[in-house]
Amino acid sequence: MKLNKNYIQTSIFIAVYLFAIYFWTQPLQDRKLPYGEYDAMSHFEVADYIAYNDKSFSELPAYIDLRYGTDNKYKPHTLWYPPTFHSSLAVAEAVGGERVVPIFLMNTILATFIIITVYFVINSLFGFLPAILSALLLIFSPRDFMPYLWGQWPERFAYAFVPLILYFFYKYFISYSKEDKKPTYLYITVLLLGINILVHPLVFFHSLIALAVLYILLSIKQKKIVFNVKHISIAAIIFIALFMLFPNQTFNIFAQFSRDSAGNGQSSLDFSRLLHWSLNPKDYEGSVPASYFSFGEMHGLWTMPLLLIGMAFLLWRGEERDILLLAWLIGLYLVLHRDLAGKATFLHRSLSASAHIFAPLTAIGAIYIASAIKLPSNFNKYLKYGIAGLFIFLVFSVNMAYASKILNKNAYNDFLSTLSMEQYKAAEWILQNANPQYNVSVVGIPHQQNILPATAKKIRWSAAVSQHVSRFYLLALAEDKKEAERRLKNDYIMLDYTMLGHIGDKETFDKMQEMEKNQLTNYTLIYNQNNIRVYKLEAQ
Amino acid sequence: MKLNKESKELLVFSAIIAAAIGIFLAFYFGLAGLKVFIGIIVAAIPFYIFLNTLGLDEGEKIVLSLVLGITLFPSFVYLLGFFVSFRMSIAIVFIALTAISVLWSYRKFRKS
Repeated sequence: MKLNKNYIQTSIFIAVYLFAIYFWTQPLQDRKLPYGEYDAMSHFEVADYIAYNDKSFSELPAYIDLRYGTDNKYKPHTLWYPPTFHSSLAVAEAVGGERVVPIFLMNTILATFIIITVYFVINSLFGFLPAILSALLLIFSPRDFMPYLWGQWPERFAYAFVPLILYFFYKYFISYSKEDKKPTYLYITVLLLGINILVHPLVFFHSLIALAVLYILLSIKQKKIVFNVKHISIAAIIFIALFMLFPNQTFNIFAQFSRDSAGNGQSSLDFSRLLHWSLNPKDYEGSVPASYFSFGEMHGLWTMPLLLIGMAFLLWRGEERDILLLAWLIGLYLVLHRDLAGKATFLHRSLSASAHIFAPLTAIGAIYIASAIKLPSNFNKYLKYGIAGLFIFLVFSVNMAYASKILNKNAYNDFLSTLSMEQYKAAEWILQNANPQYNVSVVGIPHQQNILPATAKKIRWSAAVSQHVSRFYLLALAEDKKEAERRLKNDYIMLDYTMLGHIGDKETFDKMQEMEKNQLTNYTLIYNQNNIRVYKLEAQ
Repeated sequence: MKLNKESKELLVFSAIIAAAIGIFLAFYFGLAGLKVFIGIIVAAIPFYIFLNTLGLDEGEKIVLSLVLGITLFPSFVYLLGFFVSFRMSIAIVFIALTAISVLWSYRKFRKS
């Protein structure tokens, strides 16, 4: 087989993408334990419940309902998102035959899908070099992998649709001007829009706005209005069919939208924001780190001049393909300033889409420099590859170096908030052996005020893995004896001694020993491994 | 149906790439990683067969069939999962989608 250029380029991209998978899965590779913030737990819970119990569900099980029961305003106590994303993870778990690795690996593939779609679109329209440089830069985008680590999983995947939607609509619009119209491209655009809303509604609106901008700009550029009743009617049927696939969840979008409109008074109109791309980090103190709002830390300051050159070059050249990227950029700008139209909910999350358009613009800026400098014959080619080499060097030495400080094998290897293997095994034992109608009261996980925000996550992960409502049982809960007695009588009592030695909490250790001696004498010890014990009062 | 030289080359190249990805995933994530990859490919196959009839570029077909395989396929599985077991519905949806795609392709092939 003779190696053609396409195969070589595809092989290089596959190598880059596999490196992305390696880099993003570092927290999973050695430990193979679940990790992340509360959002991550919820997505794991939904997917794992489907796969583990081998059935789909509409009513939320108690341990999920406890937190998310009212998130679906249209149909409370059911899934608050359409199940498309979670079913994908569930299929991975069912096929993979394990609970943790398949879900977290599949999520990584979905979260990094933006690298595939950006590469595909840029390669199709601008060629291999800007496409591969964009893909490489995106691997180390903290605004992508930070929300991925925190647990905004469906949103990460949903952003992969934005370039695809714009690309297929662009193909429709361009083909429309020729004899051979290709309505298939419009149907694909709408199919992707419909799936986009099933994956994450916020990003669907983002895609819609970018699409509107692209339509307007292309109409101006080509001085024509593309409007075909037959094409639009078929497209509308496709969209409605997808929208109605999960009506209990898709209609929740309207309920959320009207709620946000009614109760959203959080932002005062600050029109000076129109001059800024990012948001004020002070408005997000305590929930999002300030670095998230810094261009230098998120993209690397070295990319700034190339980004500006890329933008200026596209504006100057103004070809149809350039307009696609500019519409994408303007669409994101509009979405990022929607607070001025009274829609400020999750504004910072839209900022996470910056690198998706900045990376291609930066790569195009770098490649353009080579073509802009007038050199004799072949020298431009060498200059182009030289600049690409420098680009790659900077990506690894600046962006990768910074990214590695946040995303590495120790990310979420957190004694306080992530389950240890012993705790994971105990939670799995609960899942396999404990009656699902009883809750679990956990004693021994530290809950002092200063560390409670961290250890509360551990309890939630325990609930996720055990598929049982799991809560702290506070030994010092003297003020509500009735509740304490009720829980002692009904719940599984898990005594976890694994953390006390590390933090030197002898007082709690003694209290737990005393509890076992005095309060749990009539209970049956049903689990006793790795310094974790589970008791249950047998039914009388 | 006979494959032309270009298709044969594409098939060999795809097999090499798939093997490389499979080895990578098996190395880092064990059998589970390999199975997830096979699952993604299998879910994409019916959509690829269908898209093959629409006159799209090779890259467009590959990206779209992957996207549909990881979104529409599991959505259908979820819906069917209310009536039969989730694992069973994976198999049924795969067979049904593949059958529809093959029949559609055959119809298109005969028409042309």
